[in-house]
Amino acid sequence: MPALAGVVVPARHLGRHARPAELSALLLLAPSLVFLLAFTYWPVLTTALRAFTEQRFGQTAQWGSNNFFRLFADPHFANAARNTAVYAAGTILPSLTLALGFAVALSDSTRLNTLLRSVIVLPLLIPLVAAASLFIFIFLPGGGLLDWHLARLGVSAINWLGNPDLALGSIIAITVWKNTGYYMLFFLAGLAGIPAEYHEAAMLDGAGAFTRFYRITLPLLGPTLAFVSVIALMNALTQIDHVVVMTQGGPSDSTNMLLYYIYQQAEQNYDTGLASAATLVSVAVLLALSVLALRALERGIHYES
Amino acid sequence: MRFKTGILLAGAAAVLWVIPFAWMAVASLRPQVAGAQDVASLWPGGPFSLDNYREAWSSGHFPLWYLNTILVCGGILAVQCVTVSLAGYAFARLRFRLRGAIFTAFLLQLLLPPVVLVVPNLLMITQLGLQDHLTGIMAPYFASAFGVFLMRQNFRAIPRDFEDAAAVDGATTLQVIWHVLLPLTRPGLAAFAVVSVTTHWNEFLWPLMAVSSPDRQVLTVGLASFTSGAESGSEWGVIAAGTALVAAPLLAGFLMFQRRFVSSLVFTGLK
Amino acid sequence: MRLLTAAAFVLSLASGAAHAATDIDFFFPVPVQGKLAVEMQRIVGVFNAQNPDVHVTAVYTGSYDDTNLKTRAAIKAGHPPAAVIMSANFIREYVINDEVESLNDVIRQGGQTPDAFMAEFWPVLRINATENGHVFGVPFQNSTSLLYYSVAAFEEAGLDPNHPPATWDEWVADLKKLVKRDGNQVTRWGVMIPGTYDYLGWIASGLTMSNGGEYYNHSWGGEVYYNQPSTIGAVQLLDDFVHKYKVMPEGITDTNAMTTAFFAGKTAMMVLSTGSLSFVRENMKLPYRTAFMPAQLRHATPIGGGSLIIPKGNSPERRAAAWKLITYLTSPAVAGDWSRFTGYFAPRIAAYDLPEMKEYLAAHPDAKVAVDQLQYAEPWFATFNTVGVRKAMEDQLQAVLSGKIAPRAAMEAAQKEADGLLRPYVDQTALKLPE
Repeated sequence: MPALAGVVVPARHLGRHARPAELSALLLLAPSLVFLLAFTYWPVLTTALRAFTEQRFGQTAQWGSNNFFRLFADPHFANAARNTAVYAAGTILPSLTLALGFAVALSDSTRLNTLLRSVIVLPLLIPLVAAASLFIFIFLPGGGLLDWHLARLGVSAINWLGNPDLALGSIIAITVWKNTGYYMLFFLAGLAGIPAEYHEAAMLDGAGAFTRFYRITLPLLGPTLAFVSVIALMNALTQIDHVVVMTQGGPSDSTNMLLYYIYQQAEQNYDTGLASAATLVSVAVLLALSVLALRALERGIHYES
Repeated sequence: MRFKTGILLAGAAAVLWVIPFAWMAVASLRPQVAGAQDVASLWPGGPFSLDNYREAWSSGHFPLWYLNTILVCGGILAVQCVTVSLAGYAFARLRFRLRGAIFTAFLLQLLLPPVVLVVPNLLMITQLGLQDHLTGIMAPYFASAFGVFLMRQNFRAIPRDFEDAAAVDGATTLQVIWHVLLPLTRPGLAAFAVVSVTTHWNEFLWPLMAVSSPDRQVLTVGLASFTSGAESGSEWGVIAAGTALVAAPLLAGFLMFQRRFVSSLVFTGLK
Repeated sequence: MRLLTAAAFVLSLASGAAHAATDIDFFFPVPVQGKLAVEMQRIVGVFNAQNPDVHVTAVYTGSYDDTNLKTRAAIKAGHPPAAVIMSANFIREYVINDEVESLNDVIRQGGQTPDAFMAEFWPVLRINATENGHVFGVPFQNSTSLLYYSVAAFEEAGLDPNHPPATWDEWVADLKKLVKRDGNQVTRWGVMIPGTYDYLGWIASGLTMSNGGEYYNHSWGGEVYYNQPSTIGAVQLLDDFVHKYKVMPEGITDTNAMTTAFFAGKTAMMVLSTGSLSFVRENMKLPYRTAFMPAQLRHATPIGGGSLIIPKGNSPERRAAAWKLITYLTSPAVAGDWSRFTGYFAPRIAAYDLPEMKEYLAAHPDAKVAVDQLQYAEPWFATFNTVGVRKAMEDQLQAVLSGKIAPRAAMEAAQKEADGLLRPYVDQTALKLPE
């Protein structure tokens, strides 16, 4: 890699003194590669190194895999992993189902539909911490939006965020509210890509709405579905702003997630080894699941073409 | 698929969906009266008042946070446009030995969102002396695999004739990219800009950790500290107003440029 | 021409001299309310005006936990702030990690011995501020926990507002009368306590100490006493409040939900820091009073609050400038002002000799209760890895309050986790025997 990385050097004329494609390519790629290496690959490398460095208080650092043993023995990590799995399932399934349902119901371009679609998409545009601000009040026990209206129906106050059984569900609800609109957009685009003739032909054959949905719409939405699933998965693993601001992993660890666990170990316990080990595990899980989902996507595309 | 019931259900859901925003609007515009009981009501009933907005504006540092956020998003976008255009061109037009491998390297970055690498990235920017500077927030995003793929798709869709003509006239690669190709990919770049700005405007955890000085906070971090401060005063109207101040720009942008927003978000994703 | 050059030269010298002012940054948390941050900036402004050779930039860094994070980040990045108001119970960890300067030298330079210096502060504060005979923190703002109670609720329940409960027996008896039900909905709870991280542990430590226990080893950061009967008894009391007498809501009540409930008359009593006195006074429109925390085996309350520290890694000039700021902020007059403004009590004993303070206490009996309770105050829980060890206890206690686990089992689990977290430190100290 030339020492010119990051500096844009005027390329020589393409036509006459054609510089070899290799050098051109490297020069053009250099700016991106520098940052890619510095902020993606180098960090992964240093994380791996730190994950295998054991440093206990007052002792010198040494190599070893003790961090991983400690990680898997830590009940907080087990809680975080379990909560993340529940959170992923609890957000992906409902939001995809709702998104698909909304897309199907609102696929015609009427004015009412456009209005309804806009309303459902709005949450996408605000930061998750803004949503958290609103929902802190909505979930406030006793005087908050939900409880206040529930009280008028005779239901006693529910502590949505302060009850270990309910807190995760409340966090899930916020995420579903926030992301469904985004996924709906993709499904709308996917639906628009299905030629009307297919539906018309099926209707001529006497197929009802549900049959058409299962036989035509769903299969042709395959690639979109796979793509949105990957995005939803990444969101489930990386969106924790509301946990940081609302519950801090509590009560009793019930909203602790993988990424929050990493943040806690690094920032609160100053346990770089443990945080790095947890990061490696999370990255591995993320890569594995994404690759699996992308394989399904590829198969879907080949099927379509 | 046109059921009436479908629309009815969707309509009911939309009503539920809008409740948080409805509360935000109503509570922020309610005059400041004692007692949290009134605050939960969704019914405006009564005069409108901008007191909450005034108080939010004076007790928070919204102008500063706006400025920092604009600088961060603008800075990221500016550098990204350069890096993704150059790299996108390389993948679209040039053949070189390591193309497959480097392409995979970019592809993998899509699966490693920076927020997962918060801990090592924090150490990296500290080593570079960028900790507590806005540049430190921006740096990890300067290379965007997503942008590179997008530009690659865009460039590939353009017939080679334009470039060949320019090359015959003696244009350099950079001139070709700048004068010929980029103008033709304006919609694609615009879409990318929308996605990039929206993403980074709404980011929280990384800016939270990368910057500690209060005068360098972005909107999201500012709002979080503002909420926790006002919270202890149970000043929900003020919190609603503060949240509205943060949410306003993107919401306004969306309402004005709906179609552009939607097509950007979808168009870039599907590619 | 010569005159101009000379004038320019002199001007540059003059501005050069002005720039010889030492620039220092000062991190401060405000755990309760935004107005306090504004007031702190004002106080620092006054200091800057009075001390032209020092220029302090006061940086508001959020809660105590946030301030700790930011200070550690700054130290790691090689730019430690010159002075920080650090939560009093984090100082021990800074000492263990060798990240804070001993103040003995600057104190001696000021003409006092460290002991004489600390004697100017309330005795209980010395425990968190000193370690092995060295002064590491100068107390700036301190609190104790207080029982706030609604006079209206007392009268309605047939209780005498002049006699708040003084023992746990009386407390339970009163609470049973104070709770109000409408069918199976509770319209007014007897008592609420904050169930969030940091606050919950603090209150639990106070209850444990009321129950005769120490909660943690005051002299050494490697030991906590979660599974001792004194702690288990305190946790049992809270469990009983929720599940046996049903006078406290189940689950975690966040501080601000609690104050909202108190202001709305939805709870008759609440336990809160004295640091919130001003806030409660401004917002509670119904008559209320404050009282000591009820005693079981003895009267006890933990102290909270922050002390000024000088992190390591600052140049001698910065340290000297920081010490100037510290002596100013902790002077009786300034300490008294801050106390009256916030509700924290002034750590400096002399502040209470000043006439403004005497008037203030006469006019505000709720503040006087806080000062009177000081005779029963105990230090704040501080160990190696304080936050982790504290959370080990709080997670279990939160589970107890939510009805998920019984007190004894919870405390055994908490002790086990805490021991695990303390182990690295223990291995390097108590268990590191000579070869």
